[in-house]
Amino acid sequence: MISVTKICFNIILLAGIACNLRAQISSEEQFNYAKNFFDKEKYFDAVTEFKRLLFFDETDQYNFAANKFIGLSYKQGGKFSDAVYHFTLAEKNTGTAHELFETRIEIIKVNIIRRSTGRAFILLDSLQSDETFINKIDEINYWRGWAFIFADDWESASTSFQSIAPDHELKVFADSINNNFYNETFAKVLSIFIPGAGQFYTGEYVSGLISLSWNVLWGYLTIKAFVDDRVFDGFMIGSLLWWRFYTGNLQNAEKFALEKNLEITNDALYYLKNSYTGPKP
Amino acid sequence: MIKILAIFLLLPSCIYSQSKSINFHSIQNKKLFADHLFCEGDYLRAVEEYEAIRKTIKNDTIDFKILLCYSELGLYQQAEQNVSLSSNSDLSSEFNKLFYINQFKKDQYSFYSFYELRDYQFTIKKFSTLNIFHKLTSMSYLYTDLNSRTKEEIVKPFDVKDRSTISSFYDWKLDPPYKSPALAGILSAIIPGSGKMYVGEWGDGITALLVTGLLAFLAYDNFRANHDTRAWIFTGLGAFFYGGNIYGSVVSAQIFNARINFEFKDGLNLFLEQKNYFMPEYDFCN
Repeated sequence: MISVTKICFNIILLAGIACNLRAQISSEEQFNYAKNFFDKEKYFDAVTEFKRLLFFDETDQYNFAANKFIGLSYKQGGKFSDAVYHFTLAEKNTGTAHELFETRIEIIKVNIIRRSTGRAFILLDSLQSDETFINKIDEINYWRGWAFIFADDWESASTSFQSIAPDHELKVFADSINNNFYNETFAKVLSIFIPGAGQFYTGEYVSGLISLSWNVLWGYLTIKAFVDDRVFDGFMIGSLLWWRFYTGNLQNAEKFALEKNLEITNDALYYLKNSYTGPKP
Repeated sequence: MIKILAIFLLLPSCIYSQSKSINFHSIQNKKLFADHLFCEGDYLRAVEEYEAIRKTIKNDTIDFKILLCYSELGLYQQAEQNVSLSSNSDLSSEFNKLFYINQFKKDQYSFYSFYELRDYQFTIKKFSTLNIFHKLTSMSYLYTDLNSRTKEEIVKPFDVKDRSTISSFYDWKLDPPYKSPALAGILSAIIPGSGKMYVGEWGDGITALLVTGLLAFLAYDNFRANHDTRAWIFTGLGAFFYGGNIYGSVVSAQIFNARINFEFKDGLNLFLEQKNYFMPEYDFCN
């Protein structure tokens, strides 16, 4: 018969070992644990657990993947500088050309989102000039197109998407947006010849009518003063009133064109954010 | 014999697991990780790790680091709760320094009330802690109201090299170079544009004088020539410009004064940031 002492000893021994084994987990398990948080969109916890893995894992085998996921998590949280920092760390630990490309594209995407498009273009140029990525040219052009969109250069965006496919969905979209834009110089030139015409062009009919009326009134009074030989009156009305309303009309025409274009851009970005199903930065 | 055999069989698996696996969430490892996060400047995660182990590891350095983390994060409410835990700690004076700095940051405009209401721990004997307290109190007077404090009282807690800066802040506070909005308005009512010139806006002042003068002349000239309609138009325009010139002068003086206040507070902010709110340098990471 087994004594109570023996049973107790065995239970304690096994429980101790079981507890010990349970507490000790491999780096792979820790990685999966962190990845699970990432998959569940719990980005704060994901960053913590990936950082924990990086701190304790002496093999450095997760330096690429963990830093990449930290970067992606920070990106989701809007912490773009931290994201770029960790993507750069991931880039330093890449093992394959594919990983290197993938990481650089992530850095480019963050730069597009935070509108530091100048930096995005530099990185895209460096990728394009690298012969290793010669077969990735379409993807480079795709993100170049996006960078142009965020730089508010829809014409160049269209050209970039066109180089992927002449009927690329985003090329067609960029063209349609570009066609909708108002030409600021044209609006101004119209208002130079006919005050208020620039406002009419941008669809601001009331403002155009008011501008036209003021210019007709002060123009009439100025000319009438000169016709009546009241040169001083004519000069004063012309310079203080007519000229003021005339220049105001030009400024207004340009301002309305800019505002309308901004609205068009915002609507386009809103559409891309919510309705476009392809890859987005 | 069975016991020895069991231990003999299970021991290698135990050793094997130790060599390949890590207890990522053990108390000691959590502390190591928290220290790493703290030194990395990731205070939000560091404080979470420290909070998780503080009940198990009683250590006033951990408590102090938690306080530092909350302070860095601007979570002053949580920071304050940690100060009360430190009464028996060797670091209590450091806790108190941070408490005062946090209190100052949280509500800089009323910090001096701590002094005036004697609402702080006078039991603190450590000079460095009291010195920080008095510096912050002086800064608080400069931010809000001097409350009849003399220059000597305000300047006294500071080091010799900072005293001239504080002294100039005091002089500015006592006699700020404001412009009177009423005087600017009256001047512009007498001579259009002169209120703007008084505020230092010479270009606007001369423009206001010329435009108002011209419109007045045009009104007068048209009345004289019996062009009543045009005369009334110019009179209306002249009156509009004249009123606008008075209103504009008053507003300019107010904006000027607001800028003086802004620059003064900006100077104080800059000084405090340069001095890091008089916080001592803690070296936990080297």
